[in-house]
Amino acid sequence: MSRGFRNAPRWIATALALALVVIVAVPVVALGVASTPADLIAGARDPLFVPALWLSARTTLVSLFIVVVTGTPLAWWIATGPRARTRIVEVFVVMPIVLPPAVLGVALLEAFGRQGLLGPLLEQLGVQIPFTSSAVVIAQVVVSAPFYVESAAIAFRRVDVDLMLVARTLGASASRAFFRVAIPVAATGLLGGAALAYARAIGEFGATLLFAGNLSGVTQTMPLAIYMALESDVRAALALSWVLGAIAIALLFAIRVAPQGLSGRTRARLGGGPLQ
Amino acid sequence: MLHCSRVSSTGRSRWLCLRLALVATSACSPHVGQPGPEPIRVFAASSLTEGFTALAQAFEAAHPEERVALQFAGSQSLRLQIEQGAPADVFASANEAHVRELVRDGTVVAPVAFATNRLAIVVPADNPAGVKTFDDLASAQRIVVGTEQAPIGAYTRAMLRNAEPRLGASRAAMVKRHIVSEEPNARLVRAKVELGEADAAIVYETDARSAKRARTIDIPDDINVEATYFVGAVAGAERRKGVESWIHFVRSEQGREVLQRHGFRGSE
Repeated sequence: MSRGFRNAPRWIATALALALVVIVAVPVVALGVASTPADLIAGARDPLFVPALWLSARTTLVSLFIVVVTGTPLAWWIATGPRARTRIVEVFVVMPIVLPPAVLGVALLEAFGRQGLLGPLLEQLGVQIPFTSSAVVIAQVVVSAPFYVESAAIAFRRVDVDLMLVARTLGASASRAFFRVAIPVAATGLLGGAALAYARAIGEFGATLLFAGNLSGVTQTMPLAIYMALESDVRAALALSWVLGAIAIALLFAIRVAPQGLSGRTRARLGGGPLQ
Repeated sequence: MLHCSRVSSTGRSRWLCLRLALVATSACSPHVGQPGPEPIRVFAASSLTEGFTALAQAFEAAHPEERVALQFAGSQSLRLQIEQGAPADVFASANEAHVRELVRDGTVVAPVAFATNRLAIVVPADNPAGVKTFDDLASAQRIVVGTEQAPIGAYTRAMLRNAEPRLGASRAAMVKRHIVSEEPNARLVRAKVELGEADAAIVYETDARSAKRARTIDIPDDINVEATYFVGAVAGAERRKGVESWIHFVRSEQGREVLQRHGFRGSE
């Protein structure tokens, strides 16, 4: 009797945990089994499908490139720079993680729109951002960069300062030490951050809809096409959902499984290398 | 899950849960009047926002025992929601097609026309593209219209087809090239002009009238199209007293007057 009572909290905990697993897993499984191959083929033939796929592929690759090229030096500075200053910058950079996408969409209009803060300047330069693929990329960069910068900064903080010093004393330049020591040591965190950022960018919906508009082939990315297809041909929405689902699984694999092999290699290289 | 049991005859039952989850996020429901028992749940086209809000106030004044809960979105979105079993008593659509589909599968009963509307062009107050008359439409570099599924988008396409002889092939093609975004309802189309992002947008006359920070350009009568609004009860709610009296009120002399004050025209 007393044994049963003592076990009660554990049963409750198990039931609660199981409820969460069910509520998270059921939609994913439902998406997997909901449609027949014929539905998916018909969906992929919808005129929305190919332009959305191609636009998402192009814009997310560009935004990932921008995020990595600008985010890596920023993350290094945040990890190694003067704490008082890096803190302030970090707060700004991670802000989009907690800001609702709709708020970001309005904020982007207020910044880059014709009536926005930079509107007059952009107008003089003859640059138009809203309703273009550039707007899609900007929205993706803003929402995804924080994920990369945060993981990269955490990874860079774990890089042993002594290791960098040794590299320098052995005659490596600062940039050579960065690329040959800091990057390989932090590689797991960098790749994980890039995968997370990519997942966020390819799924971007709210800010894009508000800031970029909705036109097939120009601003209608896969998530927007899913939303619009619900009102025309649900099979197109399903086919696009399948593609995005498959990308998500691939990214999860990249984040969870691949780093183990990679960090093993990195460790072996550093462990057996001349630096120790 | 409750709604998932209401399966439409199209055999898409297995998608329902997924679709419902997506659809449920796209709506908001402003309530009018005092909290009371069992409101009449009216799903209405976005262009009816002010008209139906005023109508609901007049109705509640005339029927103190009733309460009206309004929900506005593109008619095609509302149709999808009703198909998926969203809790609606009345559907007011900006065109006949979406009501007809619901009547065909038995979801909506006995729809009737109650108002008409026409199209107009709105431009931002500072009119950056200098659109003065309909014939200048092609000089707007950024034109925003409705999606093909939204009634406003369907009417717009019909109007632009009518305009082809007047504009000439090259200017008509230019107008189409200058369309930079397709929005899911009339109010979102208008918002792009109110935000100053679009040079011109094609909306309903009534939307143009109530627009903020925007100017209206008339569309000539011979190419303009008439939008007809339909109202019908959702099956199962048609015999509820409040629902009957709401539909009656919408078509009554007083109801017409309210709608006319908001720019709607009568229908035969």
